[in-house]
Amino acid sequence: MNGWTGRILRVDLGTGKITEEALDPDLAVNYLGGRGLGVQWLYREAMGADPLGPENLLVLAAGPLTGTRAPTAGRVTAVSRSPLTGTICDSSAGGAFGARLKRSGYDALVIRGTASQPVYLEVNPEKVSLKEADGVWGRDIPDSIRFLRRHSPRRASFLVTGPAGEVGVPFASASVDGERQLGRGGLGAVMGAKRLKAVSVFGDRLISVADPNSVDFILYEIQKLLEANPITSQAMPQFGTAMLVNLLNQTSCFPSRNFRDGFFASAESISGERLRRDYFSRRSACFGCPIGCGRIVRLDGREERGPEYETIWALGAGLGIDSLESIIKANLLCNRLGLDTISTGGTLACAMELKEKGLWPDGPAFGQANEVLKAIPRIALGQGDDAGLGQGSRSLARQKGVPELAMQVKGMEMPAYDPRGMQGQGLGLATSNRGACHLRGNMLGPEILGSPKMVDRLRSSGKAGLVIYMQHNSAVLDSLVMCKFTTFAIADEHYARLLRAVTGLDWRTQDLQRVGERIWNLERLYNLAVGIGAEADTLPRRLLEEPGRGRPVDLSSMLSEYYRFRAWTTDGRPTVAKLEELGLSQGSEGACFGNSKI
Amino acid sequence: MFREFKDIGRDLFLSGLVSSHGGNLSVRLGDRIFITRRGAMLGHIRRSDIVETGLRENDSSIALASSEIGVHRAIYLQTAALAIVHAHPPHAVVLSLGRDDIVPLDSEGSYLLHRVPVLAAEKTVGSSEMARLLAPALTDHKIVMLRGHGSFATGQFLEEAFQWTSSLEASSAIVYLAELAGGKIKEYRKGVSDYNSW
Repeated sequence: MNGWTGRILRVDLGTGKITEEALDPDLAVNYLGGRGLGVQWLYREAMGADPLGPENLLVLAAGPLTGTRAPTAGRVTAVSRSPLTGTICDSSAGGAFGARLKRSGYDALVIRGTASQPVYLEVNPEKVSLKEADGVWGRDIPDSIRFLRRHSPRRASFLVTGPAGEVGVPFASASVDGERQLGRGGLGAVMGAKRLKAVSVFGDRLISVADPNSVDFILYEIQKLLEANPITSQAMPQFGTAMLVNLLNQTSCFPSRNFRDGFFASAESISGERLRRDYFSRRSACFGCPIGCGRIVRLDGREERGPEYETIWALGAGLGIDSLESIIKANLLCNRLGLDTISTGGTLACAMELKEKGLWPDGPAFGQANEVLKAIPRIALGQGDDAGLGQGSRSLARQKGVPELAMQVKGMEMPAYDPRGMQGQGLGLATSNRGACHLRGNMLGPEILGSPKMVDRLRSSGKAGLVIYMQHNSAVLDSLVMCKFTTFAIADEHYARLLRAVTGLDWRTQDLQRVGERIWNLERLYNLAVGIGAEADTLPRRLLEEPGRGRPVDLSSMLSEYYRFRAWTTDGRPTVAKLEELGLSQGSEGACFGNSKI
Repeated sequence: MFREFKDIGRDLFLSGLVSSHGGNLSVRLGDRIFITRRGAMLGHIRRSDIVETGLRENDSSIALASSEIGVHRAIYLQTAALAIVHAHPPHAVVLSLGRDDIVPLDSEGSYLLHRVPVLAAEKTVGSSEMARLLAPALTDHKIVMLRGHGSFATGQFLEEAFQWTSSLEASSAIVYLAELAGGKIKEYRKGVSDYNSW
């Protein structure tokens, strides 16, 4: 197979059994890789499994473009059932793990079971083995990576869970090489529950490509577009994703203090410009990435990894904190201990509002950066009074009898966009299959950045069609597996052409949309089967009733359009006709996975 | 200023000098640039289509700016221009494909432009190569062509840069038609051979 290695690896941590099998070519065509492959395995083999139980799967998968010379082709996608939301969940991280996995000879690792004692999995072209992790269990992420580096080939890449994952914090992240995170949905806790401390991958096999000359030409054209677009050639390299702080604040879409406002008066002090001016040391880029949005900052005379946009918001404006230095430190703590910064910030913001309303007098207060820095380690280690924070905002607000104060969807804390100023983003967040996530169908491009075209961000009518398109695109990118930041400059036509040249199969943009739609519908089927349906396609009450600096999200009208445009029933269930069209018709064995077009 | 952007943008589009989403405009105000948003429709410019950013340094607004911001900056930094119009005049683009300069035959074009250099770049949209080529050329000419792409014109006002653009296109159409007609040109201008050194 060109593009794919054609091999997957199955690992049962309970029995220690490791087996290799061929990748079904029909699955590759129908689901591409990454998220798509993982979702279909979750659906078929682990439906309804306890997220922290042995039956739950953890799939780590590359895609057909991974490890090639395509830009950002080093990423990996993980798929599992989320302990935070109970939904099916995928999470994608940059770095080089995906490329190393693919070059080790495998498209995916399918991991199940629970080890009797801590282990780490080592994968290289010659050997796959489970190794004792006693020496590294309990250590934080940087320390763990130092340990692993001493025991691994020089260019190995590591996926590591931290102390938060080990104790089962449901929003624990996992880190790729201590640099990039599988942030959302608590997949670090899934690793911890399996007593899988880390996965180490190494390989340098070349990926077979069908038409190298066409690949060269298409990459040249892509490179021209990336260079020509100021987002990818200037704004992100220069300011990182924090370029968005001022842009979102200027449009009053930058939430502050648990979404009570869409504007943060001190935004300038935590902006990308400020980060650049006062802390920037150099930029960093993932494997094969020409953009380089990563920040290496200088703090107390040392180089450290700097925060990206969502983190600056979650641990800054969302908490009423305007100290960039404190945000940098809080980010480092989260990354060291393995906590998702967005959910950590969202949960703390909820706690701060509880305190302000007198519902949790001992909780942290808005604007108190030192309290945040003290709370984070206790959350990660499940210690002290802050342990209540360790279950996420939904659980915390419910405990206090005010569920509406949790700014979350399906249990996942909201990201850094006030949907009262971005109506389409509101619909995307409400309907996201893994909870409030901006990366499922991001409307930042059309509603704020004018990419590919600017639409009226305050309008709701007609947005559903665009959101659906974006959701399918996201599913495709997470399956190829490519970074979504490239989409600011590159149209989906380029991905189709590149995939065609790499695989030798006749991919067109409509084929990719169809794959995206198949993945989205299968995720929906999984969620429906575990009892998460239309009632969960909503937003926090505040965003539906209070105007903020825009207007309340017009969700009900957008949602009915959304279901209709998707050819779902009015209560949000895919129709039989739609499932048949996608090759997902449900027979006695569940969904069918055929429908190979190419 | 908004009114000027709106009027010039509309006229560029209605004159056929840009396609629906083509071209861009900017003005320099001290150390700041106001430039059309990336992908803005010049025929329908709204206030939110004008982006303010630094003359020398980026701020986060760069994410919204025209892809040609780098060329505009280079021109402002190397010339006395206070306004720039970038358009895709069709006859001028056609002529640019086969020659290294466009020398008007008509009276107005001769008076105003004399000779318009045609430059060639490998990457013809938003590249640093373009900035490197175009800015020096505009120190000596008020309008230049980039082969196969379009014109960059400077002025103290947008209207002035628009005038050079419009005039170049009119002159190019005349050159095109004259060559199509195949007739011998009876020279009516004194010193026209010196245009080559203009």
